[in-house]
Amino acid sequence: MNDTPVEEMSFEQAMAELEQVVQKLENGQVALEESIQLYERGDALRKRCEAKLQAAEEKVAAITTDAAGNPTGTKAFDAQ
Amino acid sequence: MTTALFTHSDCLGHETPEGHSERADRLRAIWKTLEDPAFEALDRREAPLAERSELRRVHPEAHVAAIEAAIPAEGHVSLDADTHVMSGSLTAALRGVGAVVSAVDAVMAGEVSNAFCAIRPPGHHAEKATPMGFCLFGNVSIAAKRALDHHGLERVAIIDFDVHHGNGTQDLLWDEARVLFCSTHQMPLYPGTGEPRETGAHGNIINAPLPPMADGAAFRKIMEERILPALDDFKPELVLISAGFDAHRDDPLAQLNFDVEDFVWVTEKLCDIADRHAGGRVVSTLEGGYDLEALAASTAAHVKVLMERGA
Ligand SMILES: [Zn+2]
Repeated sequence: MNDTPVEEMSFEQAMAELEQVVQKLENGQVALEESIQLYERGDALRKRCEAKLQAAEEKVAAITTDAAGNPTGTKAFDAQ
Repeated sequence: MTTALFTHSDCLGHETPEGHSERADRLRAIWKTLEDPAFEALDRREAPLAERSELRRVHPEAHVAAIEAAIPAEGHVSLDADTHVMSGSLTAALRGVGAVVSAVDAVMAGEVSNAFCAIRPPGHHAEKATPMGFCLFGNVSIAAKRALDHHGLERVAIIDFDVHHGNGTQDLLWDEARVLFCSTHQMPLYPGTGEPRETGAHGNIINAPLPPMADGAAFRKIMEERILPALDDFKPELVLISAGFDAHRDDPLAQLNFDVEDFVWVTEKLCDIADRHAGGRVVSTLEGGYDLEALAASTAAHVKVLMERGA
């Protein structure tokens, strides 16, 4: 398992580990007593991926364009 | 007529390591709740030690011999990450098999209407030659074979509502056309099997997985849509239940959100099936359930329905 806390993972890191978790759960290579912890880890990773995706979507939505469709910057709220 | 309760103090002797979920206190919690005067009418019977020939109904002799050989004089030996054996394990497991076999015999003989077996270790994860997931022998599968091959029944149904898939039961009875095995379970979760496409060699297996966080309403829906109609079509002459109570919302090993009332509901529905096709014959055996309070309350409610219906 990755040592980086889930809250600090990049989308790629979280997604890569989530894929591993799902694979382990699906092929049954996990002990009964650990299955639930692994599922919970997967759930945390899934939430992290969703949060990163949503943040990216908001950034895309905030991109302003000029009349020709060229990006000119982002809206003020994202300038922090 | 009445409801029989098969159990034995030797089932406490399977002393799993400190902190292990499948612990002797589970059985103590069940016994304590069944001491209530409401359960006075139970026909309490000691589970005998099963004959080795009963194990051979579903396991090769080598499986039994390997477990026996693994058992240490003291301490414990791990057969896998979950499954450990210690000096009292074989005796406990043989009492468990003895309980289900005797329960089938008692119900088939008409001595009692139905029966509950309060036993451990559980059985539904044990495959032909692989002990796993706390389980050593396929208790409920042995009960089914006993009913078929000893009592001459032609159709036996097994319903497994433990939160984990009964991969062992599926493995042991994959090509047994005389058994309809129906399982509800959380997916994804241990052991990873139990997809709807796993249907047995003769279409004799129905897997109805539920997603994490599914509640009793989702359970009742899938039972009513997929499992109960199939049971009515199959017309079992005996109904066996792998009664795991780890789909309860308080259980620490899974994330389904059943309540005690859901276990009452399914027990009533399965008694209805048994009344319609099997002369009311039901034998239920304990599988999982790891929150002691939820386990005791769910088991008590399940047994109460059996008593009401068997009276
Ligand atoms: Zn279970």
